[in-house]
Amino acid sequence: MSKGGGLFAALLGAITATLIVIGTVSPVSSASAYAGSETLLGSSSTPEEAVQGLGDEIRLQAWDRAYASLSNKTQFTESEFIHDITGYYPSLRTYATLDSFEVIPHHASSREADVELKLHWSTVVGISTSTRDLRVVRDGDHWKPEWPIVKEPTVPPQVIPVNYLRWDVIYRGAGDDWGAQDVEAPHVRIVDMHPIERAEGLVILGELLNEDVVPAYVTVAATLQSKSGASIATEGSFDKISHLLLPKQVTPFLIKFPDIGLSQVGSVRMAPLSSLVAASADPVIEIQDQQLTPAPDASLRGKLVNQSGQVVNVAHVLGTFYDKGGQVVWVADQYIDHALLPQTPVPFEIHIPEDLARKVSSQRTVIATYSSGGSQ
Amino acid sequence: MQRAESIESSPRPIPLSLILLAAVVVHLPLLLMKLPLKSYDTNFHILFASHYVHHWFTPWNSKWYAGFSQTTYPPLPQQWVALISRIVGLDMAYMAVQFAAILLLALGVYRFSLLWVNVRAASIAALASVFLGSESFLVYSAGQLGTTSAAPIYLNALPYLFEWIRHGKWQSFLKASVLFTAAAAAHHATLLFGSFFFALPILALVLLDREDGETVSMPAFFARTAIIAAVVGVAIAVVLLPFWIALIHYPVTQTPIPHPSRANYILSPQWGINYFIVPYGALILALPFIFVRGAAVTRLRPLLLGFWVAFLVGLGGTTPVGRLLLGRAFEVLTMERFSYWATLLALPFVGLLASELVDRFRMRAVAVLTVLAAFSCALAVGWATYRPADAQDFKVDSVASWLNRDGHDKYRYITLGFGNKIARLATMTDASSVDGEWNSGRMLPELTRYGAGALTSSKYFGKPGLDALRAMLLHADDYGLKWVFVRDPYYDPLLSFAGWRRVDDLEDKTIEVWSKDGVPPAMAANAPQMPPHWQGILWGTLPFGSSVLAIFVVLIPTKQRVEIREERSFATDKNLVPGRLVS
Repeated sequence: MSKGGGLFAALLGAITATLIVIGTVSPVSSASAYAGSETLLGSSSTPEEAVQGLGDEIRLQAWDRAYASLSNKTQFTESEFIHDITGYYPSLRTYATLDSFEVIPHHASSREADVELKLHWSTVVGISTSTRDLRVVRDGDHWKPEWPIVKEPTVPPQVIPVNYLRWDVIYRGAGDDWGAQDVEAPHVRIVDMHPIERAEGLVILGELLNEDVVPAYVTVAATLQSKSGASIATEGSFDKISHLLLPKQVTPFLIKFPDIGLSQVGSVRMAPLSSLVAASADPVIEIQDQQLTPAPDASLRGKLVNQSGQVVNVAHVLGTFYDKGGQVVWVADQYIDHALLPQTPVPFEIHIPEDLARKVSSQRTVIATYSSGGSQ
Repeated sequence: MQRAESIESSPRPIPLSLILLAAVVVHLPLLLMKLPLKSYDTNFHILFASHYVHHWFTPWNSKWYAGFSQTTYPPLPQQWVALISRIVGLDMAYMAVQFAAILLLALGVYRFSLLWVNVRAASIAALASVFLGSESFLVYSAGQLGTTSAAPIYLNALPYLFEWIRHGKWQSFLKASVLFTAAAAAHHATLLFGSFFFALPILALVLLDREDGETVSMPAFFARTAIIAAVVGVAIAVVLLPFWIALIHYPVTQTPIPHPSRANYILSPQWGINYFIVPYGALILALPFIFVRGAAVTRLRPLLLGFWVAFLVGLGGTTPVGRLLLGRAFEVLTMERFSYWATLLALPFVGLLASELVDRFRMRAVAVLTVLAAFSCALAVGWATYRPADAQDFKVDSVASWLNRDGHDKYRYITLGFGNKIARLATMTDASSVDGEWNSGRMLPELTRYGAGALTSSKYFGKPGLDALRAMLLHADDYGLKWVFVRDPYYDPLLSFAGWRRVDDLEDKTIEVWSKDGVPPAMAANAPQMPPHWQGILWGTLPFGSSVLAIFVVLIPTKQRVEIREERSFATDKNLVPGRLVS
């Protein structure tokens, strides 16, 4: 045995304990990602810290702790609290994770404060932002947020007749090659198309019309060609289009070419593609109270009302904005992250870039929907 | 010179044959049940092996990432699986190689422990390796064949390293060199980090070691260390040359992917259980002994320090040590392998502790130690059931057969909600995917830019995962990506709004097939990364050849220095009182 062994062991033990304390009080970034802002020194000694803590619990989906941190939890159950956040019916929000959040203090006194909690949800179709205004009240040495609960809407019992058009398609059979149907594709036509240059790159805008008497499943691809005729890039409309077009319906489309300038482009080759699909005019979504708000903060606002008897899980609002000459100047969209219940209005708001908003004279709105168990 | 322990009152050591028999009894049934197939990475290794079965000299694999090079991962255990699969099939070949690694580990721990403790403690350490929680965790939950095969080879090389530097025996030099090279051919990271955690303590031990009062001369020490470092370095550079070329040309610069082994295990206790409690098991109870005895005995201090650093790094984000020591590599490596190495370094202490406990408490100690060992092993083996890599077990045979018929494999595919079944599927189908599970091998910008893992598990990576998925779907035409197999309706809205149509159902409608119109057939991609033919020849011969050479060289009989070793290390020490537990 050597002398000083005990001291050496104690030294290693002390260093280990110190390192663990440091790692816990001030975790490295990769550890914070799993623990949120939770540290041994985590506190709620200010209104902002209390809301920050609530945001962290929601991000970690630690519903028990989030619910327990609320000052008004006696007014609703934990289940209602969770459903208020994730949605009462399956929707984009149901399986979304909270990517980040912002805590914005508005007003504070010694007893209470108003704090805005802006939640950025990561959904399967992209980021969706929602805002809640929280009142935070002092409770001894700590602050506790009040959750502004929105309870489940109730739809009165009713019968809704379904008499919309429907098209069925009989395919060859199980051995059908899904890539090549042996029927003539529905006739579709691009009725408007032009490129515009934006800060993020080139954008191709336009509209596509189903000229046929049968429904069409459509996509549009664009290939940029240089002045010498060489191909520069090819991109598709992806989700900036309504892919299902009933007879005589029109959809806007928007195709992005990041990091490409208009000066590089000699011509654009458009390739609309259509295929025959089974379709139904149901569900019908009515748009109410549409209103174009001018710049600054230009937007198109309105309400969606589901006229059918089935729940629509996801709605996609596509707005086409025209100038006085009727030419498309912009296409913008918004996903509704809550389910559309029958006869229950749900607001939407599509933002329009400020520089383009001044040119906008009119607009048209198209709604695409997704219902679980069905198709768009 | 301080001694570890007296052997005067010690009973005989446990025979090595009995230790290997214990490994057979514990692990053979579990492997025959193919339990590792449920782990995270087993099917990944089987996919690589499957490629070697058909293309031994062509490391370009088109099954994942629209094509990637298998030279990005050392091939030795997978090539052995490929070879043995000719007789017993891929699954059982994997089990056979893993079983060989488990047996080699017991032998390696025994030989490594002999450098530090007496023969009886070393034999107990070897027996403990059979029940080691971290070993079972890596075999049955993580499926890390590379790590679990490289570590035993490395441990078996270390005594030769000691013999070479201490005594200058050329035969030991040869054996150490070929074993180190074979270990690197099995898993490069084991050799890299093993040099710090395992080899440096051995070098320190050489300096501390006295024989007839004499230590090794410093010029000899430095010269022998430099010679073996240079020779092994050159050998590894040559044997894994295609690996280094791939690494230099295409360094891993992609956005780091989060991994829970980097969490703080106190703030995130669920990961603490997974990455600390389960791998360490009852070994946690031995931690105070390791520190006290390791600090008290001068000879054991290098081992203690090696263990301590590996222990701290293995704690992931619980301490800042991993981030400080590894830098950016901390965001790329997973930390459970450091805990594995820490537990291997702890085994000589465990052998010592168990030996003293048995001396003092006899059968009572044997009973308690047996229960604790069984508990550690059972917890780690059972963990694959409590926290399975695949929460839902399902077959992918129907998906493979769908892809293999009617020319569907002309196009590429991805899966959503398949977890690590994608490796199984890739093994069974001829079709190519743009997804995969070997993150360091992927080059497609849609996958490397966002900091997410496999597309099939996109939703679990939050925004980065879904951004990567959307980017890949957006560029489906570029890759000939026509099919998406969905086993999680979460993804349906994205596919629906992005222009994909549901065209078929499989497995009693639990798997949907989505298709996109107008996609051209898949073309070869990533051609610049394709290794030239000469690299394929090297890859198919040198790593595997290094292991064959190692087997032959190790079989060369060695003149034992038993009497010298016993006198040197353990025979005359009186500083520790027999039966005394903690000094």
